Amino acid sequence: MGLPLFDAVSDPGPNFYELISASGHQPFTGGTHDEQIHATTVIAVRFREGVVMVADRQATAQYVASRDIRKIEAADKFTAMAISGSAARGIQFIRIAQLSFEHYEKMTSSVLSLEGKANFLSPIIQENNFKSPLYVVPMLAGYDPNHNVGRIFEYDGAGGCYERADFNVIGSGSQFAEGALRLGFVHDMDLESALELAALALYEAGDNDPSTGGPDFVRNIYPIMVTLTKDGFQEIDSDVVGERFRRINDRRAESRGIAGGQLR
Amino acid sequence: MSSSFYVNPEQLVNDKAQFAQKGIARGKSIIAAIYDQGVLMVGENTSASLNKISEIYDRIAFAGVGKYNEFDRLREGGVRWADNTGYVYSREDVDARALANFYAQHIGDVFSSDTKPLEVEILVTQLGNKVRPTKLYRIGYEGTISDEPHFAVVGGEAEEVKRRFAAGDGKVESLVDTLKNCVSALAGPDRTLAVEDLEVGILEDRASRRTFERLSDDYVRDLLA
Repeated sequence: MGLPLFDAVSDPGPNFYELISASGHQPFTGGTHDEQIHATTVIAVRFREGVVMVADRQATAQYVASRDIRKIEAADKFTAMAISGSAARGIQFIRIAQLSFEHYEKMTSSVLSLEGKANFLSPIIQENNFKSPLYVVPMLAGYDPNHNVGRIFEYDGAGGCYERADFNVIGSGSQFAEGALRLGFVHDMDLESALELAALALYEAGDNDPSTGGPDFVRNIYPIMVTLTKDGFQEIDSDVVGERFRRINDRRAESRGIAGGQLR
Repeated sequence: MSSSFYVNPEQLVNDKAQFAQKGIARGKSIIAAIYDQGVLMVGENTSASLNKISEIYDRIAFAGVGKYNEFDRLREGGVRWADNTGYVYSREDVDARALANFYAQHIGDVFSSDTKPLEVEILVTQLGNKVRPTKLYRIGYEGTISDEPHFAVVGGEAEEVKRRFAAGDGKVESLVDTLKNCVSALAGPDRTLAVEDLEVGILEDRASRRTFERLSDDYVRDLLA
């Protein structure tokens, strides 16, 4: 590509997606009859200081395609993108989101609001899901430094964007995780309670959904857990996450696989 | 029937050059210098929002003097080129030399084919790493590109500022010392520059992938104290 200069009328402005579309890339069209690889369960829970997120590590086709993929990435300092559905499209989606937010910032010398980022993704999701069988449903969560609060944005397959006041789950393990979250969610939880609830909900999903990978004690591969607070996107150390899942697993072994009449 | 008159190409080029120089001479100078931890860029700018020094990519910055609308469009083109290149290939593949060459070609093309040349001079700077060297590229209004080893100046009084800065011992120094030298080279013997009228940006490796930082007035004041 040469130097992309435009006149004022055809200028794509600070919109990176329009820029790459103008230069001939059509990232979200077409499909394939090959077997698709899917990414599954991601959970986000609001708590007092922000948002906690957790995601399993398994990518699934008719078989386990990967045991250690990352379904949550930092989109920028205060924002996380998570994906479910087609792994190929999801990963591309994360890259485009990351670049779009940074591109906007560099072009305009100002940072997009969290709501602006959430709305920006809607038509791109819609375009992909209407034009291609490689379905993708992402989730955006972050700490909103303009309003000092953690926020979660959910999307439907048509790109509709809905803000959630409590928690959100995407992917095939949703119904199992959602059950645990519904019973355990309390407004204004502290960090520890939010981490424990999110981990427990993911454990449930891993236990019941064949496409969701639980903690893998054999290979030492554990779900990704992140926090989004005024300190930005922070990933929790894998060993610490592993210990948390080991405790849940021990409790579950004690009660012979039954949750035991309470969230445990 | 209309007919175009013959104009001696030498005269045409001289006229255009004179025109561009006049435009650029109205603008204040910008100096870029390598210091022990990175690259520093300092310019005079009374506006806090219409920037002359900006981020292009993780390790690349841009500075422009002359007509704001003309160099800002070049800056935008640079950001677009860099983000697109990093998207298509990898972030590692975005190189200041390639960008500086594009700028030189474009500015040179406009100079020779358009009626009016661009009244701009720009700097493209790169902070080195394992893969690429630290670089200062200077691109003139007619598309000449030069690769400056230690520091580079663009703008109205470029030669003066260059001479004043070069009067130092030429060693790579700390940020504080380099900043002080840059500011006194820009100011000259008869003026003192207010911190509010300075625009300062650096490329320096810290915790994040993006190395560009615009230094606040308060921070610059502390450094100059």
